Amino acid sequence: MASDRQTNGGENDTLKAYFEKLETPTTWSGLPTKPCYGPADGAGLDYSRDLNDPGEFPYARGVHADMYRGRLWTKREVCGFGSGRDTNQRLRFQISQGVSGLSIIGDNNSSLTIDADHPMATPEAGLQGVSVNSLRDMEDLFDGIQVEKVSVSFDLSGLNCIAWMAMYVAAAEKRGIDLAALRGTIQNDTLHYQFCGFGDSCPVDMGLKTSVDIIEFCTRRMPLWYTGNANLYDMRENGLDAPQEVAFGLSLAATYIEKAIERGLNVDDIAPRRAFYCSCHIDLFEEVAKLRAARRMWARLMRDRFGAKNPRSLQFRFGVHTSGVSLYPQQPLNNAIRIAYEALAAVLAGAQSIHTCSYDEPIGLPTETSQALAIRTQQILAYETGAAQVADPLGGSWYVESLTNQIEAKAQEIMAEIEKQGGMLAAIKSGWVLREIEAAALRRQSEIESGVKIVIGVNAFQAARETSTPGGVHQLPPGQGEAIAASVRELRRSRDQRRVAEALLRLHECARAGERVNLLPPLIDAARAYATIGEMMGTIRLADGRPYDPMGVLQPPRL
Amino acid sequence: MTHEPKVLLAKVGLDGHDRGVKVVAKLLQTAGMEVIYLGIHQRSEAIVEAAIQEDVDVIGLSSLGGAHLQYAEKILALLRERGLEVPVILGGTLPVEDIPRLEAIGIRAVFPAGTRAGEFEEKIRQLAASHRARV
Repeated sequence: MASDRQTNGGENDTLKAYFEKLETPTTWSGLPTKPCYGPADGAGLDYSRDLNDPGEFPYARGVHADMYRGRLWTKREVCGFGSGRDTNQRLRFQISQGVSGLSIIGDNNSSLTIDADHPMATPEAGLQGVSVNSLRDMEDLFDGIQVEKVSVSFDLSGLNCIAWMAMYVAAAEKRGIDLAALRGTIQNDTLHYQFCGFGDSCPVDMGLKTSVDIIEFCTRRMPLWYTGNANLYDMRENGLDAPQEVAFGLSLAATYIEKAIERGLNVDDIAPRRAFYCSCHIDLFEEVAKLRAARRMWARLMRDRFGAKNPRSLQFRFGVHTSGVSLYPQQPLNNAIRIAYEALAAVLAGAQSIHTCSYDEPIGLPTETSQALAIRTQQILAYETGAAQVADPLGGSWYVESLTNQIEAKAQEIMAEIEKQGGMLAAIKSGWVLREIEAAALRRQSEIESGVKIVIGVNAFQAARETSTPGGVHQLPPGQGEAIAASVRELRRSRDQRRVAEALLRLHECARAGERVNLLPPLIDAARAYATIGEMMGTIRLADGRPYDPMGVLQPPRL
Repeated sequence: MTHEPKVLLAKVGLDGHDRGVKVVAKLLQTAGMEVIYLGIHQRSEAIVEAAIQEDVDVIGLSSLGGAHLQYAEKILALLRERGLEVPVILGGTLPVEDIPRLEAIGIRAVFPAGTRAGEFEEKIRQLAASHRARV
């Protein structure tokens, strides 16, 4: 039993530890492993068909021939708390520490598309992300940051995506920046809100419509912008194992391609600017194998199901977020080690972008100290370890190739099951996907309870509970929510109300004009008039025959 | 006579991280307890109302969004207003520095992420038994 492993044992325990055998012969996801692998394990592989060189179909070994010699991965750290100004300060700190891109997350209010002065929103304003209510907050957020020269990733996935895009575009245009110069990503995976705690605020069909609006607008106007990441990460964090992450993730990603094609877009116009947001969990080899399998499967799926021809359409490009759920508040510095291994997996797998968690992730918002360490972790990987020098350095490892095949086979079985459920969209709507995720979450916890999975500090080598957090805690100032709410109320008083009303009426008209009318242009106009997210998305909800306020509290304003 | 605890679980505020609380609900059910899980986005008033209606032995709050102190204070105040002494416990993501503060305002036990099921099950049984003995 894992719980027998204690640090305070006597000499007998030391002798026991000396003779201790490895007890878990499976991967983190439960795939069986052998003590040793050899040439027989890769016997079925045909190099040019199944692996091929990096940069060549089916891209199992990477999407670029020269990998990090062509360009290192983007080093980002998810950031968002307090007001636009508060987050702006931290972004500038990150820039001073050498990140190569920015990643911004909105607060819960933003996820729900309610404003900070909403009665349920005020206590939450700026807590789990930055409070962005209007163009003014967006301007504060990027104050002094040259957005045309930095890749910006918006870690958002609800109906707020289209509102944030509108505000970001409005802010850039106000500075006279050509939209075609904007580089970055909006996650825009509205479907995954159905199983990540925000489902009610983002109805499936409304979410998909706005997701496709973003894809369409950016495809035409913002050629350097990634129009969406399928969010595999959140599903994995919620309990799925590695093969499930691949299967659910690819099915999710394909749904957006289908919907965009239904809108009349061409697969080879849209797919080159799609990407994936993946987890790297703690089992090093399994995670590398998972990402290699995903690359091979996506290339074949895009070719065979959608007839894509542009090589960029076939390439599984991905960012990695190291696994938050693998981190624990017990013995928090251990997390820094977990994060480093997970980031190593991401590099060995050929990630295009990496966010390394901070060791205090299971405790609260990162401090400058913990976030600086997270950035340094990436820099040590990039510049000291040599891990980045060669594309797919684990390619040809009998074990890793065998594991890649195993994960692919398992993921394909799961994808067949999803098809039996009527496809991903039907499986989401029926609740099947959520049930699978919940069942997996329970399995994960049972594995820790029973000691099948060992987590240092949690079910093995425990120590007395800490009384303070190493490096300190990032506490937000009391009264923050009130202050942000007050600034929203002040905005409502000071802006040109007629202009807001006109923009919202025009938005309402467009939202009633049918599925194919893209809502981003009227939203950009509304953003320019300093309409708030709550007003913009409330207007669209009304036009869709839904309550103005997703929380059922506010009445629509009279325009 | 032994009595299986009746536990009300809820997420307060707008935090959507509900994996943990759903797993806890299942574990407590498996351990034989009666569990009512109210779901996400619960208002403090609704939690207190449900606790009264359902006559529960323990209220368990889940918070991973950083608003634990604000909501704990509010719920405890509402309970006092209604003359209820049902013990309230809290779990989730929070700094250990906040645990004494939560206990000082009347939260009976705090379980950070990573707490083993045996530990919180035992504590819930204890709290439920002493609550039953009092009422």
